[in-house]
Amino acid sequence: MRKAWLIAEREITWEIFGDRGAVLRTSLFALLPIFFAISARSSGSGQRLDGALLGLALQASFIPALTGVGLIASTFTAEKENQTLVPLLAAPIRDFDIVAGKLIGMLIPVTAICGASLGVFYIVSGWLYGWARIARVLPPEILYSLVVVSFLYLLTAGSVALIIAARVRTSRAAQQLAGLVIGLSILVTALLGAGAIALFDGWGLVVLGVVLIAVDVFALEIARRVWQRSEVIARI
Amino acid sequence: MIEMRGVTRRFGSVTALRDVTFAVRPGEIVALLGPNGAGKTTASRIIGGILGPSEGEAIVAGISVRDDPNAVRERCGLVTDQPSLYERMTLRAYLAFFARLFDVTGAKERITALARLLLLEDVLDRKLGAFSRGMKQKAAIARALIHDPRVLLLDEPATALDPEMARTLRDLIVSLRADDRAILLCTHDLDEAQRIADRVVILQLGAIVRTGTPDELRSIGRPRLRLEAEGDLDAALAAFARAGVAPTHETAGRRLVFRFEADEPRSTTPALLRALLDADVVVLALVPEQLSLEDAYVTIVREARA
Repeated sequence: MRKAWLIAEREITWEIFGDRGAVLRTSLFALLPIFFAISARSSGSGQRLDGALLGLALQASFIPALTGVGLIASTFTAEKENQTLVPLLAAPIRDFDIVAGKLIGMLIPVTAICGASLGVFYIVSGWLYGWARIARVLPPEILYSLVVVSFLYLLTAGSVALIIAARVRTSRAAQQLAGLVIGLSILVTALLGAGAIALFDGWGLVVLGVVLIAVDVFALEIARRVWQRSEVIARI
Repeated sequence: MIEMRGVTRRFGSVTALRDVTFAVRPGEIVALLGPNGAGKTTASRIIGGILGPSEGEAIVAGISVRDDPNAVRERCGLVTDQPSLYERMTLRAYLAFFARLFDVTGAKERITALARLLLLEDVLDRKLGAFSRGMKQKAAIARALIHDPRVLLLDEPATALDPEMARTLRDLIVSLRADDRAILLCTHDLDEAQRIADRVVILQLGAIVRTGTPDELRSIGRPRLRLEAEGDLDAALAAFARAGVAPTHETAGRRLVFRFEADEPRSTTPALLRALLDADVVVLALVPEQLSLEDAYVTIVREARA
């Protein structure tokens, strides 16, 4: 895995922080939770406000994860499009290290943004609606679960995006298909989440997490197979 | 150093290589020629350990590509027609990244040495996206050499380079051969192949149709001769006809230049010279003429197609 970390480090240093446009776009995620927190004012007070804050906290942590899926799809197809994948394939690295490295390189910053977005939402909401209320609505275990579920969602949808990226030739096609994946995955995740909450009460997020882990393992295995050298090089 | 033994490679129903056998020895440059889709890139990717053969064996530095592709990759440097660089990285960071992928010890010194060799010292800390096409190709060569490989696979490395840069690249390839490296050069540039290749392998539809030194390939077909003379053109042509030879001709001032093929030059040329002498045509020169590698290549490929 050492070489996978090396690839991840390069992705983060040069492709994410080396791209001023990407850094600027990412900074918009700092504004989004502020708007979410302000928008909760219209929910009045009492239990309705508590519910709105919980729902908006979920969105604050989830929306960066959604954009991360598109990022994963385009970073892989961009490597194919620009042929930068060929020197990597010619290096003494296992196929899995290339896939894992690129995936980790996207997962770490996007998950960090998810956490930061949730943090901004927590601080702004605490300031607007009182620290006692926000501490009751979003206790540490809920905050932790939201970040973990966002991460697992990103991993699942990202792995599906990876499979797509192996099959298409252009970044544009990959991003269009990633949009489809995002839409479908939101629907599935929402249904799973609603079902898990209805059936298992407070353990809903945990059950959702377990389901996502199972899907992750399956999707990552397929991604590993479609990103084998001989499969990928035939499409470059 | 490189041995392809009966290698066949299929992609689904398409056969990209058929029973290909050739070798490249240390200190040798072998040019792999062929039209688009002939299988040159597939061959270089198999040797580089990126693709496995469907049948046969590819051996690099005594290691089978099928058995230990990672060990093969450690011994190969690959340059493609596209520089394929991470354009947001600086050259120094880019080379350091590949040095770590290849577990190069003393990477800093190696990067400095390569930058010096390729005249890239002044741009080591510049982003690759700001490089000219020629500089990008040099950066790609530096990447391929970072781990000091014994085998170099150059897949049309001079594509889109200006003539001066192409010449610099050619000189560099020749200097790398001097270090006892085995170099496989996949190219469309027959002039480049003629100048630097020790041997040539011609591929057509995935199969080898001819191998040999450039000189051997240029001497294929019937012997060709060039005769330069002064005198009356019609009389000279009549003399050629009497000798049973059908030449092409051109005139340069008073000088007549004839080109012709002769199956048996030893018997044909004395008869022709006598006929020209009888026709009062003064023969200035009679020299054997070799095909250019391009003519030889076109002839071989057409024959193979037929």
